[in-house]
Amino acid sequence: MSDLSPLLHLSALGIYLHAIFVSLTLGLPLVIISLLVKYARSKDPVYLNSVRKVTAVLAVNFALGAVTGTLVEFGLVQIWPGTILAIASFVLAPLALELIAFANEIVFLILFIVTLGRIKTLYSIIIIVIYWIFALFSGLLITSVNSWLVAPWGTGGVAQALYPFMPSYGPLYTDPAKLVALKIILLASGSPIQAVIQMPNVSSEIGVILTDPMTALLSPYALVSILHNLFAAVIIGSGVALAAWGYRYYKTGDKRYLQLIKTSVIPVFILVLLQPTVLGHFMGEMVVEYNPTKFALMEGAEKTFYNPLVALLAYGDPNHPIIGFDQFYAQCDSKKNVTLKDLASSLGLSKDYLLNLSNKLGISINQERLDQVLNTSVADVCRNDLDAALSRMNIVHYSYYTKIASGIVAFLSAIAVVPVLYNVPILTRIVRAILRINSENSEKRWIFILTLLIFLGGVLSAALGWLVREVGRKPWTVYGLLYPSEVAPASPIAYQTSFILAATFIVLVVNLGGLFAMYIVATRELRFLDLLKRGLGIRG
Amino acid sequence: MDPSAVPSGVLVGLLTLQLSVAIHIVFVSTTLGVGIITALYRTLAVKRSDPFAEVFARRSFRIMIVSELFSGVWGTIITVILAGFFPGLVALATNVLFTPIAVSIASILIRIPSIAIFWYTWGRIKPETHMLIGWIMALSGFGIPLGFRTLFSEITHPQAVGLYLSSGHVDPLTAYSNPVYWPLFLHTIFATISLGGFIIASLETLTKDVRGVSIGVRFGLIFLVAQLFAGPLYWYTLHYYSSYIFQNVTFGDFTPIFIIKMILVATLLIVSTYTWALTSKLNTTPRSTWSLGLIATAIVVLGEIVNDSSRYPYMVVTGDTGISATAFSNFYMDIPLSVVYIILGFLIFSIIVFGLAAYYAFVKMFVREIPEEIEEKIFK
Repeated sequence: MSDLSPLLHLSALGIYLHAIFVSLTLGLPLVIISLLVKYARSKDPVYLNSVRKVTAVLAVNFALGAVTGTLVEFGLVQIWPGTILAIASFVLAPLALELIAFANEIVFLILFIVTLGRIKTLYSIIIIVIYWIFALFSGLLITSVNSWLVAPWGTGGVAQALYPFMPSYGPLYTDPAKLVALKIILLASGSPIQAVIQMPNVSSEIGVILTDPMTALLSPYALVSILHNLFAAVIIGSGVALAAWGYRYYKTGDKRYLQLIKTSVIPVFILVLLQPTVLGHFMGEMVVEYNPTKFALMEGAEKTFYNPLVALLAYGDPNHPIIGFDQFYAQCDSKKNVTLKDLASSLGLSKDYLLNLSNKLGISINQERLDQVLNTSVADVCRNDLDAALSRMNIVHYSYYTKIASGIVAFLSAIAVVPVLYNVPILTRIVRAILRINSENSEKRWIFILTLLIFLGGVLSAALGWLVREVGRKPWTVYGLLYPSEVAPASPIAYQTSFILAATFIVLVVNLGGLFAMYIVATRELRFLDLLKRGLGIRG
Repeated sequence: MDPSAVPSGVLVGLLTLQLSVAIHIVFVSTTLGVGIITALYRTLAVKRSDPFAEVFARRSFRIMIVSELFSGVWGTIITVILAGFFPGLVALATNVLFTPIAVSIASILIRIPSIAIFWYTWGRIKPETHMLIGWIMALSGFGIPLGFRTLFSEITHPQAVGLYLSSGHVDPLTAYSNPVYWPLFLHTIFATISLGGFIIASLETLTKDVRGVSIGVRFGLIFLVAQLFAGPLYWYTLHYYSSYIFQNVTFGDFTPIFIIKMILVATLLIVSTYTWALTSKLNTTPRSTWSLGLIATAIVVLGEIVNDSSRYPYMVVTGDTGISATAFSNFYMDIPLSVVYIILGFLIFSIIVFGLAAYYAFVKMFVREIPEEIEEKIFK
């Protein structure tokens, strides 16, 4: 089997770059709305000019977000084409509904850009709010797709049959016999899913594998993930603007930047307070329930241990043990006498049926290899996959705790910055005393530091959180069901170094160039008219 | 094959796909054409210090700013429709046409940000650098059909797909040796520049700028004339390599649409020649100029419908027969058609909002960065 690491890294690069732009796409509208509301009340042109500048950055950012989104989408169908089977079934509903969100967020953004400053401010606010709603809806749907990969809702106890420590993923909306038959054929043929589903008439031969098209949207895991991810994105996106203004205020001392910070800081403050205390907690509970191996990796639980604080937060019971891999292995061993053949038989799948089905699908499988697969012990499959998961313990564990630490930094910075900006009885005096703010210069410096820490803490926390989410579900792409090798491309070109290097180069150049362009748009004044007037000899 | 044998769900998939492709093609053709004309005039502005070229380039480029992202979204819509309704085809294409699709994706990656960067850095960076970004923006656009048109040529005359199905071998360049591909690509490129020119001409009538109209018409007409060679060449290629489509277009169900298209081509040729003569000799614009963009758009839509749908009920045509669309369809679940109609409803709503934005941008001149007094001075 070809080495999948370069493809996994390429995908991770694309997803992280997309995350940068998505965060701004979701966060900057909050800043724009705050500024427009302030402008509507004060009529101070400073706010409208700032809205124009933030909108220009948002427009370039949106273009980059759209192309990196396209990259991620094609990454799914081209680099991980096995996911086409999921796209055509479990996650089709959110992806199709996302078209509504994507098309409408674009048209409302265009309408906002075209009409800004030309129509009543109230109408501009309404347009950007509608844009924001569609953008959030888009984020909601895409997160539900990713959440299905993390907790494959609607597959009931299919994963549990192989991995006894796993929970049931909602009601059974799928045909387990077909899924198991397909899995055994993949194992026996050594082919990825793409090699099967690309053949004409395969879909009609396999038939219905999903009975409820909306299942991905009904998952409790998805619901919490959606809120957790959207909050993180908005915090980061609006945090960029706060940090940028904080820096400008620190460098120039221009009070206008202070005005801008004050306009947008309160909504960000509320989000930063809610994210770890409410949503982070619920997210943790979902991981405990639906991703047992990931939770054990996060807590470094190679062996089961006791920690009252973690147990209280995770299970609501300080005396509950933190379940470690030792217990998972023990549960695997309970299936020592069960083979894949037994599992197949319990679903009515005989060897002849499997051979016949593979012939119909145009997949050649060697009888000996099929026997070998069917005689494999479920315990062996289970233990091997646990070994693969355990090998990632260090990265997941340390990333998780670094994420927590950076989240705490952002949280404390948000708590500190508000009393510095506003006069909050008692709190302002305490914070100013702790930070030793006794002059305008020290105030400027601390406003910059604190806004920067909100931003950086948010970024690090989100980036590592995503790493924990993705690496923590390995060795599966679809948790408990499919390995990366099964959704990998059939084309040998995808594995060539030249392709990986060229793709990485283009992705980096475009995205870094785009970020630089956003910086230019945000920092340089438009001299277009001046230049044109000078060329024409027009004064004034 | 009996067309009535195609299940209704598959038919809905095909119609939705055709609708999306037709809309997408109009937008991308417009933006590809406008992009190259803009890059050219931005270059002239820099090289000749020509303020008119500067203003014309910037005014033309408003079309890109307003429509490029909306154009792109229809590409995403097509991908989801394909993967949702015809997953087998997507799986086969992403395997056999891995390299051409990668070329398209790389081009999209460069193209869309470069449009936004070109617009928002105009007047903020050195003109020479800006000019270079303009050419990156313009040329990267043509990389998109360079890749994706292989998909169309392969489902019309499966050369790379045929090689793969018979030998299991994937060659990155076989799709480019498909005899249908290059005539189709040429036909596409000429259509994009011609459409871009005519759209510019129509919109320039709103600014009453005769020079602008003249430039648009010139580009539109030159590439329309070029189409008089590229079109028949593609048609002739179909005769040899995809007789089912050729028959359907020339003597079959799609002949009426094909004839209407030809009548529109003749009309466009006459109206644009008349407009070109008037703008260049009498320095005036005939009232019919506004219709040029509309006629050219209708031609592109009809051409794409004829090209795509004439393969029905097949998805992949092999000479005078083919592989049915049903063979690639999604039977993994029953796609709720009510949801499909709701999504289509919202997409139509998005077209209406886009129309509103375009109206404000072009008719009400909301996207007007250059004050009227400066424009007047330039045009004098």
